[in-house]
Order: sequence, then structure tokens, then C-alpha cells
Amino acid sequence: MTTHWNDLKNTDVILHCGSNSVENHPVSARWLNKAHENGAKWIVVDPRYTRTAELADIYCRIRSGTDIAFYGGMINYILQHNMWQRDYVLNYTNATYLLEPEFEFDIENGLWSGYNETTGKYDTASWHYQTEEVIEASTTSGTFAWASEPGVPEFTPPAFTKPKTDPTLKDEMCVLNQMKKHYSRYDLETVSAITGADVETLELVYKEYGKTGKKNKKTGEYDKNGVILYALGQTQHSYGAQNIRCMGIIQLLLGNVGVPGGGVAALRGKPNVQGATDMCMMPTDMAGYLQWPNTTDKKSIRAWCESQTYSAGYYTNKPKFLVSFLKEFFGENAQLENDYGYDWLPKVPSGVDFTISSTFEQMAAGIIKGYFCWGMNPAHSTGNTKNCRDQLAQLDWLVDSEWHPTTTTEFWLAPDMNPKEINTTVYFLPAALIYEKPGTILNSGRWLQYRYQAVEPYDQSKTDFEMCDLLWKELVKLYEEEGGTNPDPILNTKWDYYVDGKIDPRPVSWAMNGYRPGSSDLENAKPDLCKNFTELKADGSTACAIWIYSGHYNNSEAPLDPSAQPIGSRIKDDPSGLGLYPKWAYAWPMNRRILYNRAASDINGKPWTASKKLNEWHEDTKAWDRVDVPDWAAGTVGAENGENPPDNKAFFMTWEQNGRLESYGMADGPLPEHFEPFESPTENILNGSQCNPMMRTDFWGNKNYERVTRDGDDFSSLSSNRGDAEEFPYVATTYSITEHWQTGSQTGSCPALTEAIPTQWLEISEELAKELGLTYGDKARVWNSRGDIIVDTLITKRMKPLTINGKTVHQVGLTHHFGFKGEYSFSYSDGSLGYEGNSGLTNDLTPNVGDPNTGIPEYKAFLVNIEKA
Amino acid sequence: MAKATDKAIYFDSSLCTDCKGCQVACKCWNNLPSPIGVNENQNKATAENPYIGSYQNPPDLNSMTRLIMRCNEVETPDLQKGVGLVFSRRSCKHCTDAGCVRVCPPGALYHDEETGFVAVDQSKCIGCHYCATACPYDVPRFYGEKRFIEKCTGCVDRVQNGLKPACVTTCQPGALDFGQRSEMVKKALGRVEVLKARGYKDACAYGINEMDGLHVISVYKYGLDVHQEVKEPKLSAIVPLSEVAKPLSAVGIAAVVAALGISFINGRKYDIGDFRYDEVTGVQTKHGEFYEQFDPAEIKAGEEQEPVHEISRRFNGDKRKGGK
Repeated sequence: MTTHWNDLKNTDVILHCGSNSVENHPVSARWLNKAHENGAKWIVVDPRYTRTAELADIYCRIRSGTDIAFYGGMINYILQHNMWQRDYVLNYTNATYLLEPEFEFDIENGLWSGYNETTGKYDTASWHYQTEEVIEASTTSGTFAWASEPGVPEFTPPAFTKPKTDPTLKDEMCVLNQMKKHYSRYDLETVSAITGADVETLELVYKEYGKTGKKNKKTGEYDKNGVILYALGQTQHSYGAQNIRCMGIIQLLLGNVGVPGGGVAALRGKPNVQGATDMCMMPTDMAGYLQWPNTTDKKSIRAWCESQTYSAGYYTNKPKFLVSFLKEFFGENAQLENDYGYDWLPKVPSGVDFTISSTFEQMAAGIIKGYFCWGMNPAHSTGNTKNCRDQLAQLDWLVDSEWHPTTTTEFWLAPDMNPKEINTTVYFLPAALIYEKPGTILNSGRWLQYRYQAVEPYDQSKTDFEMCDLLWKELVKLYEEEGGTNPDPILNTKWDYYVDGKIDPRPVSWAMNGYRPGSSDLENAKPDLCKNFTELKADGSTACAIWIYSGHYNNSEAPLDPSAQPIGSRIKDDPSGLGLYPKWAYAWPMNRRILYNRAASDINGKPWTASKKLNEWHEDTKAWDRVDVPDWAAGTVGAENGENPPDNKAFFMTWEQNGRLESYGMADGPLPEHFEPFESPTENILNGSQCNPMMRTDFWGNKNYERVTRDGDDFSSLSSNRGDAEEFPYVATTYSITEHWQTGSQTGSCPALTEAIPTQWLEISEELAKELGLTYGDKARVWNSRGDIIVDTLITKRMKPLTINGKTVHQVGLTHHFGFKGEYSFSYSDGSLGYEGNSGLTNDLTPNVGDPNTGIPEYKAFLVNIEKA
Repeated sequence: MAKATDKAIYFDSSLCTDCKGCQVACKCWNNLPSPIGVNENQNKATAENPYIGSYQNPPDLNSMTRLIMRCNEVETPDLQKGVGLVFSRRSCKHCTDAGCVRVCPPGALYHDEETGFVAVDQSKCIGCHYCATACPYDVPRFYGEKRFIEKCTGCVDRVQNGLKPACVTTCQPGALDFGQRSEMVKKALGRVEVLKARGYKDACAYGINEMDGLHVISVYKYGLDVHQEVKEPKLSAIVPLSEVAKPLSAVGIAAVVAALGISFINGRKYDIGDFRYDEVTGVQTKHGEFYEQFDPAEIKAGEEQEPVHEISRRFNGDKRKGGK
């Protein structure tokens, strides 16, 4: 989230699109209800009328997978009706930047300029800005003065390519003009035909939300803010990342980023999903959203520094974070002479996909022979679980660390598997639950908190860090005794997270916070902790495992007492009244509660709304009045020459220091464009490509949709095995409910929760139920080209057929919390109800195709057929 | 009428998200188990017992469940949304003129002085089921072999110690509240006006005057019908009759009921709070003691097992590390 949970109460318009936060993030309702009571309008856009929709004022039903059409319509509406916040957009975004003259979208084939026939991917040069002038970086003074200091690895800081702009917006290559042109095709009628929402509802939603960009005529303030809440309903599409881009664009156009009650609110499910993302969940990431070394532009420390360091903005500091990371990774072994051990880090092969779907393809190809599965349950949760089971059966060994055996641990027990033919050795490591171990936890609002152990781990189960430690010691021993092909990375790694000889999360916190090794005595628990990441250096004098967390544990006086650290603080003061609670837990980065808060004030430093002040420039005293921790001027406000006066640099994490309406950073296009899901009931009427041309269809084979169709490949040869609308006429989407968490490995073991919702169901409209002859109490068989399951039916008035491109289309919803494994409840697989051989896993139906930027599979829109079981 | 000092639980259906936190918190605080036989929770959807097709489960209150969230659907052609998902809280409403208290022969049911809640002294309950017959809301449950009354007590044990009822404490969206009854009534009336202004024309408050004033004040967004609420609750005709019979002898009734009990469920054991009671031997044992004696080999094949045995054995009898 660019904002945080409590801030939701400050909003004026709530827009849920692709999230159901009242059900899946129940505590959000507390803050949303407060906003609603204060007069906020509440809009829910969803294929299903959810419990969140029940609390809202306006409900807009759309076909699953048509979010970009919906958002594109909104962008068009905002631009056509001049609802965008002029002062914000012209100053703080790249609206006035000129794009390269070659920038173009080809409606005929659905491809952007720069498509490379040979690689099947985009060359993004034409998506860049025109250059006004190139300013070489200096290492003797200014931003990069530190780069010439002793100890800093040698690299040439990047030159600043000053973009050409046209503040009058007359040039047709202006980003804003290109957007106007691109989205002019998204008129209300077209959007209605694609999404199935009627024109009146669409207009109502666009108007209501668009109001957040308008000036209050009476007060002259831009006093309305809107927040967009999204979750898996947006990400789990073959263009999920572009869905999120849409929100970014809309929020920038309406001046809703950086202000109280605004923002793009990514709702993370399990608290530590945010933590896992921070800690490099993506295969090409390094902790803190840095990039992991690869075989091309990051193959050496010099290459890394030169390709990753920005020419302006806060990411000019990236080498400091890299070297500090390496100092933590390899300790004393990391020296300037050996490039701080950079070459010991494994290099991710460039251009190869290592996301989860690819993992199972690599098992199929015999590349992966052993699999560590730690705190996840892919045989239940991945796209196309039938394929997952088949591939797990190819493994030599599988290690599963969980608090009790799950679907993955016992994949060979699935009704369609034959254990006699499976030679995979499965090792089960009983793991301690969250309440049985101390450590840090992080929520969607980036708040870090220390949690104490409540009870001892049950029986022989161990905490994750204990297991890691045992494994680590055993590995090191083997390398020491037997050598091996490449022992250096292992033997040079620093591993000293012990207190009184026992593995302990507190030294890990010192590492995450950062410290000065020269003046620290870690063995005797005396770290010299850094105040925050502004103290990190590229000369090897600081160590820090994850720079964004720096500052969360910085009290060197009491390094063993989490309660004496910012992360342990539980003071409920809220001096601003805006719900910032600056002394409750610690928000990364720098305890900043609202990201990009410079944008909460105008170009002169005056808050857009007096009552929602996060900062204000006082011209008389030449000083800022700060309510939240400021995020401009690299966090060094009040430096030697006094404070930095207000300017237009409101987004200091980009090198432009402006928000990107258009972005050259995406794999599949500089502006979001509508495509149909992998499996769709209709034709794409907006451009010539049915699906996202860059959609990953064959992860390990590194082929996207465009390549597969162009090469004339048959989709049925892929494990995702595409079905068509004639055979499978119904649109299906999957979802979670309040009572259960994902694969149910925890909630399914709580009797009261299993009682509250004891079964898996098909949510279906009265209309479709009638057509299929289904009535209350019936079970339904739901199948497609990948799977076949039996579920209960939930016939409801809340689902309705839609008219899509002139034809009636039915959509259904499927929960995914139960399967053939279960403590108290499982699917009808035991044959007692006559459905033998049924895995009961909804994800047997979902396709293993995914977004080209993230690899997330398309769980949220696919085709099925249904009959009475 | 309810006393000026009385307290009340407030339920606002328009802020409720049906997360069922209250339903689960009630079970946790009051040590109420859930069925844990394999797939026992699942409604098997037979012709007699169809799957109800909603988010509601269990279907109604039972001897293990004092509070459920009800879920209903309604078409709302007057509103933009066109459809509504209706959440209602079903539990004891704590009447001022409480039929159950009036008919209870041994005085097991009583009005808590401080709050006005209808509380239960289970040690006095004789299992006569009079209260169930007298209740206009069909709340008290005995369920099968269980002899003693199971119903919401307003968590008087918590309230006496300065806490709010468990359901209220756990409610995140702010749909539940607890406080002076007069305050809760005021709050409810205010909310009704807000909801009406939002277009919910049938919105109403409930519990202000019913049964001389309930101690659960509800705001119903869609009106009484859709929220499945009793429109004009009345004391059952049995109440005045039982009041005549009451002085005769609570003990006598107890004897009769006990005898009936034996004939119905010969040789079975009951689980009562922390105690087990064997009706044949008359032996009362504490859970822990019992489960230490418990030998699974004693269970005959095919004999249906009481789920409560199972859960208690797991959590009490088990010699596990931790739990400190």
C-alpha cells in the first residue's frame, strides 16, 4: 500500500475493484466503515455481489477479466470531461513529457512499437522520452561525490538524460495527448459491450470517482480524495500488472497519490506476504526491491552499479545498499579487492523464467529433481494443480515444512494418483506456528511489529530459523569435509545469528536494520546500529541485509530488547488526528506512513486541503512544517544549506522524480490495453490480438502467446491446454471467503471455522441454475480441459448473467479452500457420495498461464462447463 | 420496562460484514465445541435437509452454539444495487419480561442485577425444557442428550470483570457495541435515520419496547421481514400456567424429567461444561479425570461417537508441550 489501513478512514470515495476486503481483510471494514460514516461514497466493481458490495453504495458488475476495459473507460471519461487535477498532473507527473516519435500502438495486431520478431519480446526504446540534453554525472561534487571515495567499487555513474517537455500540451507526442488518443477508443458503449456493465452504471461510477480530481468551488481546495483497493482479483490475470498500472494512472490523474485518504492500496492477505515481497519473493529480486545479479547487465558489480543506479532521485544511492547487503552476506570476507564477494552470488540466467509455473515445467523436463516447499501448499494453490501433482511425482525427493501434512505433503494420496507408481521420497519437517516463535511481522501498510512467542512449539516441531540453521550447518559441514564443485559461496557466507549459542531472530534484526561492523561486537551482542538507511555507505563500512527496513531496530543501547526498539513501540498517540500513529510499530521506509507525501501539497508547498495536511512550506521561515516523515530531497531535509524549498519533484523513487502515467518499464506495453483472458467467451473487439501478446503460456520454453500463435503451435500441447467457449461456455472465477484462509491448512484445522463454512461451492445465478436444472441442495460437476470436480451449489440472486458483445454470458464463482486433504472437512473424494477419483481441488481447473511481468497465473478468469452431478 | 441502569448489546446490521468473528468468539470464550467428525460440519444436502445455499452455518442455534449470524438475500429494485445480502444476529435477546425466567422452576434462569441480561446458573438447571417452550424467539437449546440449557448469558462473567461481551470485543467493523441501554437505544434510532436517508426505507430499530424492552438493541437495514425477526413477540401461553405450577416443587419436576431422560437415552453420558455425568451410575467426573480414564478400546465398532468427547480429549487429555 502507498498508504496504510488506518488511513482508509480519511477517504471520500472508496473504490473496490478486484478486491473483497470486507471478507478477505476483515479489519479493513473497521476503517472503511468510519469513512462511510463520515460521508464517503463506496463503490464496488466485481463480477460477484460480495459482502463488501453489501456495505457499499454503488455496485457495478463486470465480467471477470475485463478490468482494463473498465479502467480504460474511466481514464477516457476523466480526460474527456476534464476531471483530472491539473495542478497535480502538470507538475508531478510525466504528462507533459514528449515520447519518441516512433511510439505507437498498432490496433490491427494489438502490438506496441518495438516488437522484435526474433525474440518475441519488446524493445522498449520507442517507449522512452525525447531527450532535451544529456548531463554527465560528476563524481567530484554533487549527488555522486561519494562514488569517488575510497572503498567504493569503481563504476561510472549514469548521465542524466533530461526529458523534453511541453508544458502547453500542444505537442501530440506529449504523454497526456498520447493517452487521450489511446483511450479515446474506450467509450462507454464499447466498455459496456466488453464488461457487460450497463452504460448508466459505468457513467455513475466514473462520475463519482472522477469527483476526487475536482476543485471545491466554494473553498478553492482540492478536498476530495479517493482510494482504490485491490488484491488478487487484479493480479491473477494474464495482464495483472497492467491492471495495477491502470490504478496508478487514474490515481495520478486525479491527484490521489501521496495524500491522506488516497493511494493505491495493495491488500496483502497473510501479513507476511508484504514481508515476503520485500524479502525478494520474485526470482529476479534481491531484498528491498533491488535486482539480483544476472548473466547480462548485472554480471559484475560494476555492471550492476551502472545498470541499476539512477541518474537522479533516491535510487542514485543504490550502490550503497548493494555493498551494505554484500557486507552482511559475506561479512569480513567481503572486501573491495574481491568486489565485496559479488561474484559469489549465483547469477540468475537472463531471459529465463523461474516463477512457480515454470518450476513445475522444469520438473517435467527433468531439470528440477528435488523440491523444498516451505510454508506453502502448491499442490492446492497453484494454477492447474493436476499438472502440479503429476510433476511432483517426477521428483526424487520433496521436503515439506508445515505444521501438519498438507495437500502437497500427501499429493500422492490424491484420488487420481497411483502411489505404487510414484517414487518421490517425501520428507516432512514439522514447523512451529506463528504463535510458537518470536520475530517480526509486517502488514499491508508496511508496518513492522515485533511479536513475542506465546507458547512453546508443539512436540518436536521447530521454528523456521532453527530448521534453516540446522540445514545450514549440515551443508557447511559437507562442503568443509568433501569440498564440492563450488564451495566458496557457501564457505564465505557469514552466519552468526546466535544469542547465547542459540539461533535467534534478534541478531537477524540487527542485520536487517544495518550496523557498522568496524565498531560492532556481534558475538557479545554489541552491534553499533545505524540510525536508518541514510547512514549506509558503499565503502564497506556498513552492513545491511535489507535497506528499506533500516531504522526499525536502531537502538544500540538495548540490542536484545525488542520493546526498546522502534519496532516494539506501542504508543497510541495520533497528534495529527489523521490516524498516522507515528509511534505505533514502525513503517518502512523511515517510519513514513504515507508514501510520496510530498504530493500532499501543491507546487508551492501548500496542502491541497488544510484539514489533510501532511507537510507545509512556510516561506517566511523557509522551513517545512512536517506532519508525516517527509520523502522528498532524499530524506535529508534540513541538510547543510537549510531546507529544500518546494519544487515539482514529488516522486523521488523514479529518476524523473515525477509520477509515470506512461511507463517503459513493463514487459507488455507502455500503457495498459485490454486483451481477453487466455480462455474467453468472446472476441477481443478493441484490437487484433485476442490475448495479451506477451502472456506467458510456456514458462520454461520461454514462449509467450504471440510466439505460440505465430509459430502455429497448438495450445493443447501445453499443460495449460486451452479450452474454447463452444465446449466450455461459462466464465468462472475463483475466490476466498472470510471464514477460511487460502488452502485451509490453518483455518481448515479450526473446528469453529470449519463449522462456519464447511464446504466448497459453486456460486451460480438463479437463471443459470434453472437452465442447468440445478436446485437447492444439488451438487454440480464442473469441468474443463484440465480438471473435473464435484462441488456444492450455492444458487443466489447475487449472481446475474451479463450481455457481452450482444450475447448472454453466464459467470460462476468457485471457492478453493477444500480438497482431498482436510482435518475435519474435505471434498467428496472418499467415494461415500459416489464421486470417486475427484480431487475436489478447484485449482485443477485454473490455467497455468500468467502475467509476463510477475508470472502470476490466471486464476480469476477461465472457462468451464457445468452439469448436475 | 427495563431499568435505567440496564446495559445492552447493540447490533447494527448495516455495519456488519458477516465475518462471523462473533460466532467464533462466543465459542472460544464459552468453551463451546464444534463438530469435528470428518465432514460432520458439512450439510449433506439430502432431500429432507437441503444445503441452504447461503453463507450461514450452522443452520440454527444448537447446544454447542449460542450465537449465529444469519444470512439472507433480497431483491432491492428501488436501490442502485438491485440486490441485498442481509445479515442478522441470532441469539438470546435478553427480554425484560422474560418468559424463560418466569417459568424456570428451580430459578436457574435469572436477571442479572447489574445489566438486566438473562443469565443462567447451570448448576440449578434441571433440564425441564420449560424455558424453551416459553421463549418467543426459540432460543434455549438442549439438543439430544444434553440436559442443561445452553444460551447466551450476555457474558455476565466478563461484564462483571469490566470487559465487554466476547462477541462485542471481537467485532472489527464496529457493528456490535455494548453500553448503557438508553445510549444504545439512542444510537439505534440515529442510525435508522441515516439508513433511511440512504434509501433503505424499511430500516428500523428493534428491541426498544418488545417484551418490555430487550437488552439487545438491533438496527435492521431492510426491515423485520427480511431480517427474519419476530414481529410482535408475545409470552407463550404456557407461562402463566407454569407460574401456577412452579411453587409445587422444583424437585418433583426434576425427578420426573430425570426419569424421562433415562428412559429416552438409556446408558448414555452427558458432557456438561467442565463435568461429565453418567446417568446410569450417577458418577460425575471432571473432564481431565475422565479422559485419563478414557480408553479408546472401549468404543465398540460402529457405535456413534459424541463429537464433544473428541474435542475435549484432544485439548485436555493430550500431554503436549507448551500451552504455558
